[in-house]
Amino acid sequence: MFYDILVYGFIQSAALILMAFGFSLVYGVSRLPNFAHGAIYVFTGFIAWALFNTVGLPYWLSVLLSILASGGIGVLIYYVILRRVRGMEVSEVIATYAIGLVFLEGLRYAGFRGGTYTLPVASDGVSFIFDVPVDHQRVLLMILGFAMVALIWLLTKYTRMGRALKGMAQDERAAMMLGIDSDATAAVAVALGSMLAGVAALIIFPLGSLVVEEGYKVLIYAIAVCVVGGLGSWAGTVIAAFVLGYSQYMTVAYGKPHFQMVVMLLAIIATLIVRPSGFFGKQKQLEERV
Amino acid sequence: MQIAFYSLMPKEDTMIRHYTSVIIALGLALLFSVTPQLTNAADPIKLGAPLSTAFLYGWDAERGIKLAVEEINAAGGVDVGGEKRPFSVEVIDTRDLEPGVPVDDAIKAVEKLILQKEVDFLVGGPVRSEAALAVLDLLNKHKKVSIVTTGVLSPAYHKTIAENYDKYKYAFRISNEIVNIIVKEMMPVFEKFRADFGLERVHIMVQDVAHARKSGEVVDKFLTKAGFTVVSHDIYPTGNTDFAPGLLKSRRENADVLFIFMDMPETAILLKQWKSFKLKSLPFGFMSAAEQPDFWEASKGAAEYAVVDMINGGNAPAEITPWTMKFVNAYKKMWNKEPEGYGTSSSYMAVYALKDAIERAGTLESDKVVTALENIDLMGVYGRIRFDKKSHQVIPSTDPNEGAITGMIQWQDGKRVTFWPAAGAVGELMLPPWAKE
Repeated sequence: MFYDILVYGFIQSAALILMAFGFSLVYGVSRLPNFAHGAIYVFTGFIAWALFNTVGLPYWLSVLLSILASGGIGVLIYYVILRRVRGMEVSEVIATYAIGLVFLEGLRYAGFRGGTYTLPVASDGVSFIFDVPVDHQRVLLMILGFAMVALIWLLTKYTRMGRALKGMAQDERAAMMLGIDSDATAAVAVALGSMLAGVAALIIFPLGSLVVEEGYKVLIYAIAVCVVGGLGSWAGTVIAAFVLGYSQYMTVAYGKPHFQMVVMLLAIIATLIVRPSGFFGKQKQLEERV
Repeated sequence: MQIAFYSLMPKEDTMIRHYTSVIIALGLALLFSVTPQLTNAADPIKLGAPLSTAFLYGWDAERGIKLAVEEINAAGGVDVGGEKRPFSVEVIDTRDLEPGVPVDDAIKAVEKLILQKEVDFLVGGPVRSEAALAVLDLLNKHKKVSIVTTGVLSPAYHKTIAENYDKYKYAFRISNEIVNIIVKEMMPVFEKFRADFGLERVHIMVQDVAHARKSGEVVDKFLTKAGFTVVSHDIYPTGNTDFAPGLLKSRRENADVLFIFMDMPETAILLKQWKSFKLKSLPFGFMSAAEQPDFWEASKGAAEYAVVDMINGGNAPAEITPWTMKFVNAYKKMWNKEPEGYGTSSSYMAVYALKDAIERAGTLESDKVVTALENIDLMGVYGRIRFDKKSHQVIPSTDPNEGAITGMIQWQDGKRVTFWPAAGAVGELMLPPWAKE
């Protein structure tokens, strides 16, 4: 029982990191709450499905192209819509949520409904970790979940673009004074966030099937993790994902599985009461977020 | 002037013009002579179908209804007091199967069908029991006859009608209801598991929605009473994406049967995990994801050996009545796949039941159609269709000569094989090879 919790709590946490990291990245850099995050997650899954099943491309190429497409969608969303409303918080929320609705309801309207659209798993096998069976797709999820965090950290630490992202996250005005193009950097952040949503989709969807309604759930999970961790704080996102992931799993193991969602909502409420800025969020303060 | 103009035209042009006029005239004559037979000049009888169309129980019902309407219209339509009238269908998305959508939305959708689309009858949903119950008052207010065909498993539906007959007499249900399903259909299958393979330890896994929770409780009670051991009873939120904790518990507790009651597409994840863990327990129950013929390909065979209750016969190939396979083949021809799941055969039959009742009533007047439906006796796709005169619930049976029968299927080598009840069976129940080890 202990090892069940250890292993599957870890998997759940890694899944939450994957779902939330893109949302956190975009907010951290551009202060844009991207409520289209869940829709991009679902849309990328369907792009990969269409490239693989309809166009007939090899799966690895379908995955690659769909991730690039999700980045492209991010850039397009930023330049066509978000740039015009940037800084107007309510408009940002409404605009991004509306974009999400267009994607998700558009997919439904186009007939992508039900649970029969699936993506292949990396491997059908099962490994035993502490005598607990774990299918290989979940092993991949654990590895890639953390590899992705490490990659983003390296990007912000050692590349010019990453440092620009970091600068923007710390202080946009100061960054602009140093010659960083605010729009271009924000667009890169939205593109990266969208690509991260896409990567998450392509790792998580093969576990089950492509379902449009997942878009709404992923958005709620991403918001919960980011609120608890502190909006825009990457370290907070990782820690909150662990706290919530293990809390959810323990609720299933010792309590009742249907209280899982309650854990998420309670965590948001408790955070807003006790520490509104989350574990690491320092709202309205000029402190490093990355 | 015209004559002069024609006389100036080359002879070939005049000939072409002449033949063109003749062809057009003949075409118009043919069109007018054929039109009454094909489309019926009379006003159509409008059927309103309130369905949650993004979900299996919505779109398969829509397809079943449209198939029946097309067949009936092609055969000349409905005889309403000596006048042949076609059916037409108005489908509206109630979205009531979607999480978080309030019941009120379904009520508004039905009201729109009645007031704006001016439908004569309602067939299909709403699909969730809560929404269908809320719509009963609306049916009474507008005196609209409705036949519920999909979803709505709650016994509260027919009990409410029976207890308030004068108020709710316009509502009928042509599909099965959950208490009968559990007591008269699922329990005998559990007994078959025990008799054939010695399976006695059951892990109950249900979705956190009213009908599934209630079903879990009833199954738990009846299993215990019948001497089975319920090793665990878990409720999962809609949209749950990891069933490992429950499945690992099953493994620890040596469960023989996983009783699953879920209408969410994530059931696919459960079956995939069950397959990858190679659990010895046999999945059995109500799993919307595993009902569909496409599920085999979608799950890459993860559904193999899963036993699924299709609620009404004919939702998968079966040999119940001569009409069953005729319906299966017609559906396949029209929609390029076999009937997909719960709601397909019952929605199709509801249109035929309505046709039968209207023709016997000789009018579209609601009260007379209600009386005609109460007296219906029609041998249909899944057996004899009759309604209880008080509760308006279709009379169920395991004998198609007595009432409407169910269809229990098992996925075997990519096919949905009906194995119970014996009246519709086309194959035998099997255990996964690893379960025998």
